[in-house]
Amino acid sequence: MINVKGLTKEYKTGKEVVPVLKGVNLTVEEGEFVCIIGPSGSGKTTLLHLLGGLDTPTSGEIQLNGSGITSKSEKERTILRRKEIGLIFQNYQLLPTLTVYENIVFPVHADGKKVSAETVQELLSAVDLVGFEKRFPNELSGGQQQRVAIARSLIHKPSILLADEPTGNLDRQRSSDILDLLSNFHRERNQTIVMVSHDMFAAGYADRIVLFKDGVIEAQVKREEDDYAKFLTRFMA
Amino acid sequence: MSVKHSLLSLIYEKPRHGYELKIGFEQMVQGLWPLNAGQVYTTLDRLERDHLVETPGHDKKDRKLYTITSAGKEELWKWLNQPVGRSLFKDEFYFKFLCADQVSYENKEEMIRNQKETMVKDLLHLTQLKKQMMTPENRTMKLLLEGALLHLDADIKWLDMLVDNEMA
Repeated sequence: MINVKGLTKEYKTGKEVVPVLKGVNLTVEEGEFVCIIGPSGSGKTTLLHLLGGLDTPTSGEIQLNGSGITSKSEKERTILRRKEIGLIFQNYQLLPTLTVYENIVFPVHADGKKVSAETVQELLSAVDLVGFEKRFPNELSGGQQQRVAIARSLIHKPSILLADEPTGNLDRQRSSDILDLLSNFHRERNQTIVMVSHDMFAAGYADRIVLFKDGVIEAQVKREEDDYAKFLTRFMA
Repeated sequence: MSVKHSLLSLIYEKPRHGYELKIGFEQMVQGLWPLNAGQVYTTLDRLERDHLVETPGHDKKDRKLYTITSAGKEELWKWLNQPVGRSLFKDEFYFKFLCADQVSYENKEEMIRNQKETMVKDLLHLTQLKKQMMTPENRTMKLLLEGALLHLDADIKWLDMLVDNEMA
């Protein structure tokens, strides 16, 4: 579960202070699939980075499963991130000199831990990459690379998966494959997912859509609400 | 949509009686197209009249069983192999757009927005349906849904283009 209270983030460029998040309150329940949408510069990716402990807020509080991360040191945040968070990025961020297998197990090995071959095989099977273990990222298509990134993000069984435009670099068909995959993990493993996207198709997979505008949450709608389609139509031209 | 050929393909698989065909058809379309029993029997009568199916006997419950004839198989293969064209004006909204222009309709923008909302609803519904079709036995239905979603994607982009055009 994620609890965000009064979150602000400002960047300083010379003498100018640019507010990116202006007091965000958000709760994401365990097992929920939330999609954050909004125009460029609205603060959605900044929020995701703060949730993932990749950056620190100017003020406000973030709690992951009851544990506050804003007051933690960088080292403590890293430990928490490695335990609780899985991250997926638009540009995959695979290590080019490592094979598929090595990329997937990298977060666990970097943590000085071991992972069973069975666990890796299970994930490879779930992302449909059995037989690709020894290939390098440059030998894979964009969709396959993103599937490796998804497997890597889940290798340590994180309670929360954060995805930043996971289909942004992919064509419609590959996007659909990736979204189906995320949806499977959400449904079968009750995986909590927070995804940033500008794509109406991607948003259609979520339980709830949160609209960001100028650093604040302008509106949100749940799937079961009648005006879900109206909301999407209005905000996703 | 050809109910006639759907029934032929179900009878090709195995001999079936009328009610079984209704159920088989509805299973094939995942319940998205409820078929009227009357339509099943009317179609079966025509298929029998045209010698595409025959009724060699009854099942244990005395229900008439239908089997496919060699002419029926030939008709089925011919239909499967026949490409399907796409008429520009088969889509009713295309025609509405044309007529709106004809009468200089003032609420064109609203008309387009309402159409988009309906398509987004369809998109959400089909996305949810696709999420339920992830098992190998639903592979064909999943592929059909992918096709429908790709069409919706293109249609929604086209509607956005119309709005831009109206506002220009």
